Amino acid sequence: MTEAASEVVVRGRRQLVSLLTFRGRRHARADFVLGVIAFAIFIAAWYFIVIAGIVPERFLPLPSTVIQTMLRLLTESHFLNDIWVSVARVWGAFLLSVVFAVPIGVWMSNYRLVAALLEPIVDFIRYLPVPALVPLLIIWFGIGEASKIAVLWMGTFFQLVLLVADDAKRIPREFVESGFTLGAKPFQITRDILLPAMLPNLVDNLRITLGWCWTWIIVAEIVAAKSGIGHYIWSMRRFLKTPEVMSGILVIGIIGLLTDQAIRAWHRRHFRYL
Amino acid sequence: MTNASPFLSVRKVSKEFGGENRADSPIKVVDNVSMDIDEGEFVVYLGPSGCGKTTLLRIVSGLESASAGDILLSGNAVTGPDRKKGMVFQAYASFPWLSVLDNIKFGTRYRTDIGDKEKAEISKYYLHLVGLGDYADFFVNRISGGMRQRVAIARTLAAAPDILLMDEPFGALDAQTREFLQEQLLEICRVEKKAVIFVTHDVEEAVFLADRAFMFSARPARIVEEIDIASVLGAERDSRTKESEAFFNLRNHVRELMRKQAQQNI
Repeated sequence: MTEAASEVVVRGRRQLVSLLTFRGRRHARADFVLGVIAFAIFIAAWYFIVIAGIVPERFLPLPSTVIQTMLRLLTESHFLNDIWVSVARVWGAFLLSVVFAVPIGVWMSNYRLVAALLEPIVDFIRYLPVPALVPLLIIWFGIGEASKIAVLWMGTFFQLVLLVADDAKRIPREFVESGFTLGAKPFQITRDILLPAMLPNLVDNLRITLGWCWTWIIVAEIVAAKSGIGHYIWSMRRFLKTPEVMSGILVIGIIGLLTDQAIRAWHRRHFRYL
Repeated sequence: MTNASPFLSVRKVSKEFGGENRADSPIKVVDNVSMDIDEGEFVVYLGPSGCGKTTLLRIVSGLESASAGDILLSGNAVTGPDRKKGMVFQAYASFPWLSVLDNIKFGTRYRTDIGDKEKAEISKYYLHLVGLGDYADFFVNRISGGMRQRVAIARTLAAAPDILLMDEPFGALDAQTREFLQEQLLEICRVEKKAVIFVTHDVEEAVFLADRAFMFSARPARIVEEIDIASVLGAERDSRTKESEAFFNLRNHVRELMRKQAQQNI
């Protein structure tokens, strides 16, 4: 064995030992390879189950069939329209939620009166399961866009407002007191110190909340909608078009993943000081 | 004493905490403290940990209110925090989202007495005064703890306070950094000629820095002894001061005072 090859073996063995050590060190490449292996096993098992006839293909199409169906759907305008409708609903409702949650959350952290008044109500509504609210919201807002936005807003605002209040409260006391002793008024401290200080955490929380929006939009669209990915998945189910159903789910996953990664990348670039 | 009111006057200040709930009886933290401080004087509050000296400093800054008594700055009662009472905290209070220079510049942000051009000049001036000229564009969590405290000092000075209040600013630093910053602080004070109140529980630090030191008792903080250090060591200090016999004797005296107080805490 050459020296280079033996070194590779030694390093490989060391990484393997480290992987099995209790709370061992992290190896980026080993982690990546393991991730790929696990994914490959998952796909292989899927193929095996279908080809061996354990589950009929009608219920579980081959992975390649799902991918082909998805690629075909992505060229069809009705499906692209469904994607667009869902994306627009999610972002519309999400931004509406943010516009209310950020100022109110910060306000709650700034003044005990606001917190004492709002916390019990917010906490109570937060624990109401969103799917249970859907029928009520449809009675109130009909089956148009308003009810979709309402479902998403109810599902995110009450969570987000508490997360924002917590982020604002976690700002070190010295930051606020520095502001006072440098001559800042409360609104200046809020604008110039609290908001920039909490921004990295806020963006993280917004990213996570945006993910929830995708859960609620599908619930809302399945119950009552004439468009959107949720509606598409639900209508394909009626014809037992399993590849189409799975494609719809996959598309949601991909959109979620891409958005998440985009926000993370922005976060890394924008908050380089962290 | 002349008729003119002293620069800073602490008059019979007491502070109690708690007592809002029926269950806990109020705890007295500061007990009837009075003192006058002159312009340009370097005063140290010395006392065992948790004795209430930081609370007294916070009352002077206006961040905390006294339960009884008054603080008068240039004859005006202190009712809350503002730019006149600059504060340097023990914990790093520089802003991580700003560069070193922008942190210092933040100190000028709420000044209305000067324009943008002067604000930029003043920020540069203090950047160099604390010796951070090479680090202007660094984010503050890329620099050492000692440098971060220098940023905090520069930021506070940039706000042009009447008095500089320092709450164990070097408490979290290693011994070498600490000594270096003590000397640098004296250098800065020579240039700035501002009154300083500096809180510490480190006897050597207190004796080295102070014109006048107040030894406080264990909680509640009462003045045990006022030590006129400037009359023994003189106003000028440098690294050799710590090797002099006068320093040695004074330090031993203060250390003995401190030991008596600290024992009551254990």
